Amino acid sequence: MPEMTLDMRVNGRKVTRRADPGQRLLDFLRDELNLTGTKEGCGAGECGTCSVFVDGKLVKSCLMPAAKAQGADIQTVEGLARPGELDVLQKAFHKTGASQCGYCIPGMVMAATSLLREAPEASLDEIKERMGGNICRCTGYTKIIEAVALARDVVTGRASPAVLEPEGVGESYIGHNVRRLDAPSKVTGRLKYAGDMVMPGMLHMAVLRSPHAHAEIVSIDTSEAEAVEGVACVITSADVPGKDGFGVFVHDQPVMARGKVRHVGEAVAAVAAEDVATARRALAKIRVEYRELPGLFDPEDALRPGAPVIHDYAPDNVVKHIPIRKGDVDKGFAEADLILEDEFSTQQVEHAYLEPEAGLAYVDADDVVTVISPSQNITHHRHMLSEIIARPINKVRFIMSPVGGGFGGKEDMIYQGMLALAAMKTDRPVRLVFTREESIIASAKRHPSRVKYRMGLTKDGRITAIRFEMLSDGGAYGMSSEGVMRKAAILSCGPYEIENLQVDTTAVYTNNTPSGAFRTFGGMQAQFATESMMDIAAERLGLDPFEIRRRNMMRAGSLTHTQQRLTSASIDRVLEAAEQASRWEPGAPTMRGPMRGDLGGPGTRAPCTLGARFETPKDSKERVA
Amino acid sequence: MLTFDRYEMPATLPEALALWADAPEGARLVAGATDILPWAREGRAGDVDLPLGIDLSRVAELQGHERHGSRVRLGANTVWQDFLDDAQLARWLPVMPHCAVWFADDQIRQQATLAGNLVNASPAADGTPPVLALNGELELCRWAGDHILCRTMRVEDFVTGPGATRLAPGELVNSVTLDCADGYGASFQKVGQRRSLVISVACVAALVKLDETGTRFADVRLALGGVGPVPERLRDIEDRLKGEPVDTRLIEDAAAATAARVASRSRVDYRRRVVPGFVCAALEEAAERARVAQRKEALHA
Repeated sequence: MPEMTLDMRVNGRKVTRRADPGQRLLDFLRDELNLTGTKEGCGAGECGTCSVFVDGKLVKSCLMPAAKAQGADIQTVEGLARPGELDVLQKAFHKTGASQCGYCIPGMVMAATSLLREAPEASLDEIKERMGGNICRCTGYTKIIEAVALARDVVTGRASPAVLEPEGVGESYIGHNVRRLDAPSKVTGRLKYAGDMVMPGMLHMAVLRSPHAHAEIVSIDTSEAEAVEGVACVITSADVPGKDGFGVFVHDQPVMARGKVRHVGEAVAAVAAEDVATARRALAKIRVEYRELPGLFDPEDALRPGAPVIHDYAPDNVVKHIPIRKGDVDKGFAEADLILEDEFSTQQVEHAYLEPEAGLAYVDADDVVTVISPSQNITHHRHMLSEIIARPINKVRFIMSPVGGGFGGKEDMIYQGMLALAAMKTDRPVRLVFTREESIIASAKRHPSRVKYRMGLTKDGRITAIRFEMLSDGGAYGMSSEGVMRKAAILSCGPYEIENLQVDTTAVYTNNTPSGAFRTFGGMQAQFATESMMDIAAERLGLDPFEIRRRNMMRAGSLTHTQQRLTSASIDRVLEAAEQASRWEPGAPTMRGPMRGDLGGPGTRAPCTLGARFETPKDSKERVA
Repeated sequence: MLTFDRYEMPATLPEALALWADAPEGARLVAGATDILPWAREGRAGDVDLPLGIDLSRVAELQGHERHGSRVRLGANTVWQDFLDDAQLARWLPVMPHCAVWFADDQIRQQATLAGNLVNASPAADGTPPVLALNGELELCRWAGDHILCRTMRVEDFVTGPGATRLAPGELVNSVTLDCADGYGASFQKVGQRRSLVISVACVAALVKLDETGTRFADVRLALGGVGPVPERLRDIEDRLKGEPVDTRLIEDAAAATAARVASRSRVDYRRRVVPGFVCAALEEAAERARVAQRKEALHA
């Protein structure tokens, strides 16, 4: 590494360091100065979690070599307010509840700060435009934009600073704007996520991942990597002392590939070294010999006779089949005036939480193997790790770090085992921070699903029977597939009372990226099919789409698909609220068209465009266009 | 992950060119760095260790801009945000703010240079179409042992294919010279999967000057990006419109022909539908803005 003396003023203090001029400003701030309020979400300039001011201009510090900031005045989120205080924007974020997981929030606060400095009178459209470089995955942006507008009004004198103060809650918290307890730690960047944590003597991990979807591992030679200066250890599945295997339902996934790889991106080996660059260089020296196997990439193919088998324990490639039977579907279809059949498919979706997976493991003085990570399932992970490393449960500890967005994607123990093994092998703390690409390639996805639907209805819109058959691509490992299939089955036919139904949901193994938990847990895929069928049925029967739903909806006393007697149901109120909010124009879908009266108008979003800043009059500065 | 064995920050053009002339194989010039850092990541170039990075951001000769008659010379370090923040530049180059606002985002525009965008020569570069429309020319300089040797080249000739240019070994872009288009109305149309930080599926830059009556095209400049290996200037359509009345049907008719210009490797049908609409919208918006500019000028006169 080259070295150069870097001089900057950072948050008003002079800073001089001998450092690599080619490293990113982001790394310089985080690693050399421990200013971890500046986050790394993507490393490619897409997400804005690393925004900092350089000589008053907001930039993405992951795109700036540190040398470019030589002699510059740097302001990070830590420099916005004095310790223990919040500035106007931070208070506004606190007030509106703009921070959820909090990982994007320091960058958002910085982008908003830049906005209010450049365009204090910005309109809502201009606020959105100027915040366009920062991504949030929790909020849907509404609360963030609300916070910026609130701060704008205070800064420009349109609103009193009193609007930033907490609201009284009176008798009950319900119905009141209650501020989040953890917001100040997030809006100031003080909160430490796992990737922000450091320990003395800490090693850095990098993971070698499979380039193949399905291949036998003939041999792994780690000797050259072990010999690299700065490498503390290399681990493979051979380092697992106990019973290898984890998963939310079935423990079918080894800590690292054992004997074969089942998807592109599966962990094969890992290096712990003095720094990330050394660990990554050593990875390139691990020699893995693979023998490629025929792969499965479509769930239908997985069920064909003679299909390649992905897990020996499941020769039929089925992860889980959930059947539900209620009433008599043949009788129901016989009673129908109209029978509709259709197929629906939904795609794989990535959670894309702003915080990539990260963890820190160490063995404490009492030999307790400790893993700090944003795990969404620490107790289960603790139990599984205890088996994997063959230590009693009281010698295994999991600490849940703040989760910078999970949405189900951090339920799987896909890296905590490797961290524990490396910490045990080296007796040093080891940290692993996924790159964004690694997070996408290795973490679970929403199940891609196909639903074959058959629905029988009477002329007046009553559903007489449903046959619902879902095939989901579970990918290479079971993860949460069983639960997702269960939930998809339970929710399959929607909030409607169906007397006769036959539901089958099945997840199968393929060599695609594993599918796992994701918000709605199978419900979304099922509802897409069911609600589409309801709309199609309304059209065919000449009924109002709200009306056909009312005719079938569950009520107090209804029997659910799994035959639970309901004592209450709220779908009637949901329909009413949706009808009012959308200013719904009653009528069958076929009666409608481009002339419908409920299109456009208030509450309807205009098409996206940019250039709002050209419209806002600005007194202080000449407009440029 | 991008690492450099050496990272140099020359302060003058001779220093930069001398370093570049002697640079080892694999050395790279670093302008805004907003493309090179994402390039060195998994799925693209992977981990890259470069023997030398020559950072141009402190080279004095590459800063600033100056107007010479009807042309403006932009130093190669001119960044995209300058077209939004510098009112004079915006007046001279009325298409650039409209393009800039669609270019990456406010933060990346503080670093990303116009010259870097041209040199990267992406078929989807947002910067190339407006530069073509403004008859852009590059000054390419190299070190000839004891002095600097420069040549000029039209951007139209410079970009030869995806990522390919006529930049010779040892050369760097010293400046970009553009037509000043005071009094023109301008428009930039772009579609991608979102607003900010998105690669164009198609983009169009248009400039329109009206005659003194405000009803006829006195001059039209039109260029298209994202739909073929290199962005291109649509001279045939410009010629067809020049001198003609500003008429919706004429514009639509002229725009319809642009569907045939789509020569991309993917999404051809989509692009063929979107491009004529964009050309229409760009011409109409540019003509409207030219009318507004004309009215403003009349008020001031």
